[in-house]
Amino acid sequence: MAHHEHHASDNYFLSPEIWTKVRNTLVFLALASWVALGFGFAQNRQQFHFSYLVGFAYFASLSLGALFYVMVQHLTGSAWSVTVRRLMENIMRTVPVALLLVIPVFLGTHQLYEWTHGAAAQHPLLAKKIGYLNEQWFVIRGLIAIGLWSLLALRLYSLSRQQDGNGSLVYTKAAEKWSAPGMLVLFLSASMAAFDWIMSLDPSWWSTMFGVYFLAGGALSFMAALIAICLALRSAGYLTNSIREEHYHDLGKWLFALTVFWAYIAFSQYMLIWYGNLPEETVWFQRRLAGSWSAWRFVLIFGHFFVPFFTLMPRSSKRNLKLLGFFAGWMLLMHYCDLYWQVMPVLHGHGFTPNWMDPVAWVAVGSAYALVFWSGLKQKPLVPVGDPRLDQCLAFHNA
Amino acid sequence: MATSLLAKLALPGYGKDLSKHYAVIGNFDTPEDLLRAIRTARAAGYSKMEAYSPFPIHGVDEALGEPRSPLGRVVLVCGLLGLAAAVLLQWWTGAVDYKLSIAGKPLFAIEPSVPIMFELSVLFGAFGAVLGMFALNKLPTYYHSFFNYSRSAGASNDRFLLAVEATDARFDAGEVTTFLESCGSRHTELVEA
Repeated sequence: MAHHEHHASDNYFLSPEIWTKVRNTLVFLALASWVALGFGFAQNRQQFHFSYLVGFAYFASLSLGALFYVMVQHLTGSAWSVTVRRLMENIMRTVPVALLLVIPVFLGTHQLYEWTHGAAAQHPLLAKKIGYLNEQWFVIRGLIAIGLWSLLALRLYSLSRQQDGNGSLVYTKAAEKWSAPGMLVLFLSASMAAFDWIMSLDPSWWSTMFGVYFLAGGALSFMAALIAICLALRSAGYLTNSIREEHYHDLGKWLFALTVFWAYIAFSQYMLIWYGNLPEETVWFQRRLAGSWSAWRFVLIFGHFFVPFFTLMPRSSKRNLKLLGFFAGWMLLMHYCDLYWQVMPVLHGHGFTPNWMDPVAWVAVGSAYALVFWSGLKQKPLVPVGDPRLDQCLAFHNA
Repeated sequence: MATSLLAKLALPGYGKDLSKHYAVIGNFDTPEDLLRAIRTARAAGYSKMEAYSPFPIHGVDEALGEPRSPLGRVVLVCGLLGLAAAVLLQWWTGAVDYKLSIAGKPLFAIEPSVPIMFELSVLFGAFGAVLGMFALNKLPTYYHSFFNYSRSAGASNDRFLLAVEATDARFDAGEVTTFLESCGSRHTELVEA
């Protein structure tokens, strides 16, 4: 019967040859980009730290998107997502990499952040913030945030892996218990990190929703990365029966919904500042509209919102895997444009000034994250084989 | 007198031709039996069918050959209407009918209008979704021949019913009855319109 043949089994293990081939490519990319970055560091240290910060914030936010989504699946008891959840968890497992990769940000506080300069102590506003915005507390807060995320990520990953063995419901229940407080911890600590790493580039400016802005972009780029990874595995012949059009349709709905969520947050932040019209608030946007930066907003308004929003709206485009794959790649690029626009105008106030270190730093940070992600696919099942909802997911059908 | 008044009101179901039939309805034990019966009936050439079940069954629309609901497009059009209404409202009240400069801001600007545009799009879209759903489901319906089936209440409990309608080109009460029984129907009945 046509309706029940989806239990046709997939191979849940990557072939060792493919695994090694991809690993070797990633190692090559990592070595080449980190060596190049080493030269960049020696040549133009300030540019290095800014380029690096964009790359670091990009992958840190993406991995937090994964942490967020794994917790959402547990809290909602989702069955539709079971076959993609292990891939989510493997992306989530990259969260602790930040403990190592945050070091160049810590080393660059003087190049990046105005509040580290001696003149800040004389500045009437910044002088009052120095009790919070100082290098010691910056490092401690960063380590606390990454430590909390790592604890949650590793805990949830290990619960899911243990369930592979015996399929006990105990692990599902435990994951639910971790996820509820975990969600609270994630939003508070990610807000703190976003305030520190990106918002404090303009130390006299503040926006309480900046943390949500950071996470909204991270969730969107994570969903795009997840779709891209699923499609890449599919094109290599993996999970073709486990992640079907029905599942891509749901992933596409999330991608669509997150373009709206990002736009809602980004616009709300803008509108409140526009309406308040206070110089200490509008300065953030003024800086990002100076010179050729003023054209950048159209990339975000149309590229990050209107085009993907209206294209992904119809059901047919979410079920068109080529179109969905294109927009997954597109949103990954847009998240970079968004972070670039938040960070770079601080360094290049007169306008858009591309540098070779921008893409190289992205590749360097990305290849380190990708290697940890890829290590999770070695000789381990690509789906949570012990999950009690797996059969329900394999038979999943959109209403 | 009273009869002619009722006839003038032309309430649904009044004065219907009692010799007409709605359908032959078959009664199945499980959703799987129902789906199998629908597929067999489609293969046998029947096309005007309706399924009745206590809960939604995945795949039943496809099996019946139902087209996709046009509700999504209705909602999109209503949403865009809401958007246009919001722009008009903001512009006309602020910049035409009652000009009042507040903190030196423009009388009309897109930025502060976006929340209104968003809200009215959602509101009109929601109206479109609810009212459109009612219209597409032909609600309210005061009379439906399905309830002439002696065991129609089973569709709200634990039975899965399939009506092969009399409007079907291949409809023949005797043949359909035999056919549904061969598919495993427990209680097959010719139902009045």
